[in-house]
Amino acid sequence: MADTNIKKILVIDDSTLERELLIEILKGSGIKNEFLQARSGEQAIEILGRNYKDVCIILLDWQMPEMSGLEFMEGVVKVPAVAKIPIVMVTASGSDDNKRQAKQVNPALAGYVVKPYEPEILVDAIKAYLK
Amino acid sequence: MFFGGSVNKDLDQFAKMLNRSVEKMFMDRNEIRFSKDPDSEKRLIIEYGGLMRADGLEKYNESSFISYINYYLNAKDMEKNKAVGAIVVYIEQNYVATLLKMLKYPLADDEDLDALADCCGTLCNIIAGAFKTEISKAGYIELEMSHFTSYRNRAVVGVPFCFNEREKIESTFFIQNQKRLIIEMTMGVVPKR
Repeated sequence: MADTNIKKILVIDDSTLERELLIEILKGSGIKNEFLQARSGEQAIEILGRNYKDVCIILLDWQMPEMSGLEFMEGVVKVPAVAKIPIVMVTASGSDDNKRQAKQVNPALAGYVVKPYEPEILVDAIKAYLK
Repeated sequence: MFFGGSVNKDLDQFAKMLNRSVEKMFMDRNEIRFSKDPDSEKRLIIEYGGLMRADGLEKYNESSFISYINYYLNAKDMEKNKAVGAIVVYIEQNYVATLLKMLKYPLADDEDLDALADCCGTLCNIIAGAFKTEISKAGYIELEMSHFTSYRNRAVVGVPFCFNEREKIESTFFIQNQKRLIIEMTMGVVPKR
């Protein structure tokens, strides 16, 4: 029987392959949380609207069609009901400027993982936030 | 009137940065060494309707996937889709799954064309991201980067590029002495910081 106290991880990436890789790594590391998936910022907003009380962390790509990860994050930090959900950026853009930019938008940014990443880097970045 | 060549005098330098970032990414990911240094050649951009032609059948004579990502000088240019550059990745259809598995990506169904297109886009994304980071480290301004767009065989509507440029760099990477990855790069003038 599923443990209803375990919260969910929201994975937002336009690449199905990247979402599958990320989930496989986290499940393989023993993480028992359920996953919600979105392929764009818009879809993520819909999913978050329905599930925000159950989401313990958001893993967020940057470059996505229509609404980028940064635009999504700008929206999230303005809504008190979801602003405190930790966000870890998981993106191919790894420059110092981009990291600064993300931190400017969300001073409470929980982490920044650059693709392609080693599994342990991803796990280390999120494990403190799992509930 | 401008008839040929590149306004961007740093194009060769950018090509070196691109090749270096691809080689490093393959090595870091799974210690994959290419058979030899990539072949990098300047080629004229073939333009129609203001877009750059990208045809995979011309690269491999076999079905292939194409993914591209655009770069912009700033967020305003990105909103207007005024590209300063592009990366176009070509992979032969029969080799997409092999290449992605070599890079430790899980692929459930290697006959699903949508999944293969997504694979090519995913690889294009990490190459474009690594290249953007190299450009930034070399002292150029931080570029904005688009999401990936993928096609099978040819980019039907073409690839946005910087109109001042007439040349692109085509880099071919070899694995076990076979042509396995082709990357085209075009880039307009990118200011230093």
